[in-house]
Amino acid sequence: MSRVLVPLAILESESVSTGLPTLLATMDVTVLGYHVLPEQTPPDQARLQYEDRATDALVDLEAAFEAAGGSADHRLVFTHDREQTIDRIADDTAADAYAITGTTGPVDRFLVTLSGDVAVDRITAFVTELVGDREIGVTLVLATDDEPSGRDSLEAAADSLAGHGIDVATELVVGEPPLEALLAAAVGHDAIVMGEQAPSLRSFLLGEDAERVAAESVGPVLVVREHRDETAAE
Amino acid sequence: MSDPSSVGGTNVEGESPQIEPTVETDEATITDDAELERTLGLTGGLAIGIGTMIGAGIFVFPGLAAGRAGPAAAGSFAIGALVALLVALPASELATAMPKSGGGYYYISRGLGTLPGAVVGLSLWFGLVFATAFYLVGFGYYAVDTLAELGVTVGDGLVIPLALLFGASVTVLNVTGTENAAKLQNGIVALLLSILIVFLGYGGLDAVGLVGEPSAPEQFAPFGTMPVLTTAALVFTSYLGFAQVATVAGEMRDPGRNLPLAMVGSVLVVGVLYVAAIFVATSAFGSERLAGFGETAMVEVGRHYFGSIGAVAIVVGGLLATMSSANASVLSTSRAIYAVSKDALLPRRASHINLRYGTPHVALGMAGGPILALVATGRVELLAEVASFLHLIAYGLLCVALLALRRNEPAWYDPDFRVPGYPVVPILGALASFVLLGFMQPASQLVGIAIMVATAGWYAYYGRDVTLKGVVE
Repeated sequence: MSRVLVPLAILESESVSTGLPTLLATMDVTVLGYHVLPEQTPPDQARLQYEDRATDALVDLEAAFEAAGGSADHRLVFTHDREQTIDRIADDTAADAYAITGTTGPVDRFLVTLSGDVAVDRITAFVTELVGDREIGVTLVLATDDEPSGRDSLEAAADSLAGHGIDVATELVVGEPPLEALLAAAVGHDAIVMGEQAPSLRSFLLGEDAERVAAESVGPVLVVREHRDETAAE
Repeated sequence: MSDPSSVGGTNVEGESPQIEPTVETDEATITDDAELERTLGLTGGLAIGIGTMIGAGIFVFPGLAAGRAGPAAAGSFAIGALVALLVALPASELATAMPKSGGGYYYISRGLGTLPGAVVGLSLWFGLVFATAFYLVGFGYYAVDTLAELGVTVGDGLVIPLALLFGASVTVLNVTGTENAAKLQNGIVALLLSILIVFLGYGGLDAVGLVGEPSAPEQFAPFGTMPVLTTAALVFTSYLGFAQVATVAGEMRDPGRNLPLAMVGSVLVVGVLYVAAIFVATSAFGSERLAGFGETAMVEVGRHYFGSIGAVAIVVGGLLATMSSANASVLSTSRAIYAVSKDALLPRRASHINLRYGTPHVALGMAGGPILALVATGRVELLAEVASFLHLIAYGLLCVALLALRRNEPAWYDPDFRVPGYPVVPILGALASFVLLGFMQPASQLVGIAIMVATAGWYAYYGRDVTLKGVVE
């Protein structure tokens, strides 16, 4: 089974909405409770005081994921650096995706974006497993300037999903910025699946695409990670 | 989780040391049910060490030191660097064996036992308080000089009020949380190093007669060797920062490599800069005139070489350096209090943090209050020497703790870095630390001893029944 990491600022009462455990019922879930401390506070000092409170909250969340039918465990980390912690735990648990929790009820249909330089095979494999044998529909969206090859790649992905009995729709957007195209297509969908992209100057300036999508689409965003070993070998 | 009360004893309030089994990896410390991320790299470690140390030696001491020892003050700084290096090596070994927050206190309480640990832990708190007060007074002098460069002459009467004001703001700022403080600190250190390298590079060339006019030769040690040693004891405060690196050992990535590099590296960098600064300063003016300029003598040295631009650069450098030293020391003080209270030698509430800001407000108050009281005295040399005194005791005992641990080598003791030249280096380190104590003014020695006696008394009253795990008897 694939594993999804769900990072939560646990002591700031960040939690998951009811739809997310149901959506992730086909996955192994690791709930990562983290607490970010200012530089002047040793992480251990916060652990002494807040470990029990945080663990209680995490055990409750774990139970929520298991009640929805998935399998779940949790990790608790006190840190100065949120990104570093998420990366380390994702590597540590060999997570295939991480979730940016948004607000959603039951998910009937979610949006998958294949725009940009992402590992399409890994995304479709993940989506296939995520849907499983449930009645959840998938819309594939691809924004590109190269219409013929975009159409090919979109149809190949749709065929592969349809082969597993998934209800697939496709949407090809030509000549529009991928992020805007994605957000426009997100209307009427309950969640978004996207691939992790290499950090670019733009993501450095404006924040990661995934964070921006999550902020603007309100619903949960699942980010399929790059395969670290493959990228290292290239 | 094992019941901590069965292993650690209790203090008079019934609190026990909080000691849990942990696994240290290069990237995190893993306890029973939580993980502590290691987020500091080598650059961050060097910035802490250099940022704490770089203030006093260059921007406050040159005038005072040259007045006492003549051009041989450069030798005093070299002696200080040597002692610091002899301690930094054993400290590195201990830090890689126990990469946890707490620094010197932690190693001594685990290596030598609870009483020496308690005395050192509480003395380090006061030592840092004295050091911070000293940095703040230095800041006051530079603030007055800054105003003077801007054309507002206020006189030295405002030194202490400005220092108090800044000390209070540092404390409040740290309680409310300093976002990106580490990045700012790195920037300040980089800026300071650039100013100093240009300044000392040109000044050095001038001093050896390659550019500019030849300076009048001066007798190297006009007052003999004794003042060189007493000056070394005074200026040792300039080298207190390397041990602050060990207090963040629990937050450093790959501690086996980065801790020794950061500690030894920061001592070497500031040692070279200090010796060069004194050499340049005494070449520019001769030690007598330099002494007449007092705490901000370097400003006149800057003016001598580069005119008013040089003076402004040094004034700005002095402000930044004393600020960064004071800030770093306030933080270290709150960490020292945390380490001791975690072991039940101070009330647990001393290390409470508030969830709103995520900062240890009680400990920061326990640092800020006494600091302001000491700043008000304005006694630069006394503050510096007492700080050195209390730290040197800790450094000496730290070397002894290393010897004790190596003799019995308990199973948990497995450092990634081992002191070269064992046992000569730790023995020399201990001797050098204790000998330097003898060259201080009697007043500083008395204050230092009084503080140690008081801390031992506190231990006897409050934490007598506490025993600390890993103690080698």
